[in-house]
Amino acid sequence: MKHLYKKELLHYLNSPVGYSVPIVFALFLGYLFIKDVFVVGSASLKPFFSVAPWLLFILVPAISMKSISEEKQSNTIEVLMTLPLSERTIVLAKLLSLSTITAITLGLTLSIPIVLGFISNLSIPEIMVGYIGLMLLSLLYLSFSLYISSRVASQIASFSLSVVFLFLITALSSDFLANILPKMVQDILILGSPLLHLENFTKGVIDLRSLSYFLFLIILFFELTVKELQKRT
Amino acid sequence: MIEVSHVYKQFGVKIAVSDLSFKAQIGDIIGFVGPNGAGKTTTMRLITGLLKPTEGKVKIFEKNPITERLSILPRLGYLPENNPLPADMTVMEYLTFIAGVKKETQLEKIVQELHIDDVYDKKIEQLSRGYRQRVGLAASLCGKPEILLLDEPTSGLDPIEQDVIKDLIQKLAKRRIVIFSTHILSEIEDIATRVLIINRGSLLFDGPKPKGKGSVETLFKKLIKKS
Repeated sequence: MKHLYKKELLHYLNSPVGYSVPIVFALFLGYLFIKDVFVVGSASLKPFFSVAPWLLFILVPAISMKSISEEKQSNTIEVLMTLPLSERTIVLAKLLSLSTITAITLGLTLSIPIVLGFISNLSIPEIMVGYIGLMLLSLLYLSFSLYISSRVASQIASFSLSVVFLFLITALSSDFLANILPKMVQDILILGSPLLHLENFTKGVIDLRSLSYFLFLIILFFELTVKELQKRT
Repeated sequence: MIEVSHVYKQFGVKIAVSDLSFKAQIGDIIGFVGPNGAGKTTTMRLITGLLKPTEGKVKIFEKNPITERLSILPRLGYLPENNPLPADMTVMEYLTFIAGVKKETQLEKIVQELHIDDVYDKKIEQLSRGYRQRVGLAASLCGKPEILLLDEPTSGLDPIEQDVIKDLIQKLAKRRIVIFSTHILSEIEDIATRVLIINRGSLLFDGPKPKGKGSVETLFKKLIKKS
């Protein structure tokens, strides 16, 4: 598996998307934070944790859109599927390489709490738990996008479908939906919202229900992707 | 050993392969010939386990290439049609990856044998078609496979490059089963020990290569006309 993991990582780092998207993501979040500090006068990580999920649903499909769909489009999938690797190993190697890119991206934003540390009293464990939550959310988005990438042979279709679905999932608990949907429907939808579960982490709480929610969905989409690769027509 | 037994493959209403049966043993160099769309690529994909037969059985060393793929694939080298390669990788990066997965310890030897050392650091997208074919062949040879399936290995190459690839295939054929598909009949005469002629999914001929210059072409034309 390590050979495929290395190859996949190299593949991302060789492409402009591989390094430009994470840098733009980190710079944008950094800008939002600095703007808050100097314009609004507040020094808190709350804006960071509330904006990051909305950017992740664009970042994640951008880096994962070509993961499997490009292999299908260029037919390199035939070579990959005739290598002595199980479908599960293939999906795991791809997911791990994408997770590495995402972890590096989130790592780049660590400059924000470091700066904040100089100007206010920070609770380091709280921030670490918040970052764990963001990583879990990213893994959920990644496994979902990887599944979409395994279903379509076009990178653009893979990106568009992932963004639309992830936006809908993310928006389940947002305020603007609350105004559109009946209260009862909104209450049901909110239970499935990743933002609600992320909120616990950003408060510094590792809630087992939220942890189980993320792990269940990550494994679900991972297994669906494996099933997709195991299909033989 | 490869055993294809009464295999049918249907895509929707189109029958790609119909009642195909043949066996192959170590030492066979099989030229798989037929017009475009005859079912050569579908047959290759059925043998590799990329496709599931609609009916019939494919066995590789007595094993099912789909359900027991992990025990078969280390023994199989495959060069797909049009030789798809990751354009953004260098030859070294790509072959190191394949060699790593297939546990090949003598990659340098393969690289020297196929004369790709001079393009080893180049990106695959910068290579000529001939060199790309050699890289694809090198990848299929990693892990010392006992079965080598080459789908149109000389397609799109100029006559000099075709000769280079033909020589390589002959060299590689020892102690292996080699099945190569082509629609260039002279290649069969030059390399194969056995010929399979297929048209519209049906096997028209399975036997030793006919002797004499132009004999494969004569046989092929006769059978295609008849079918």
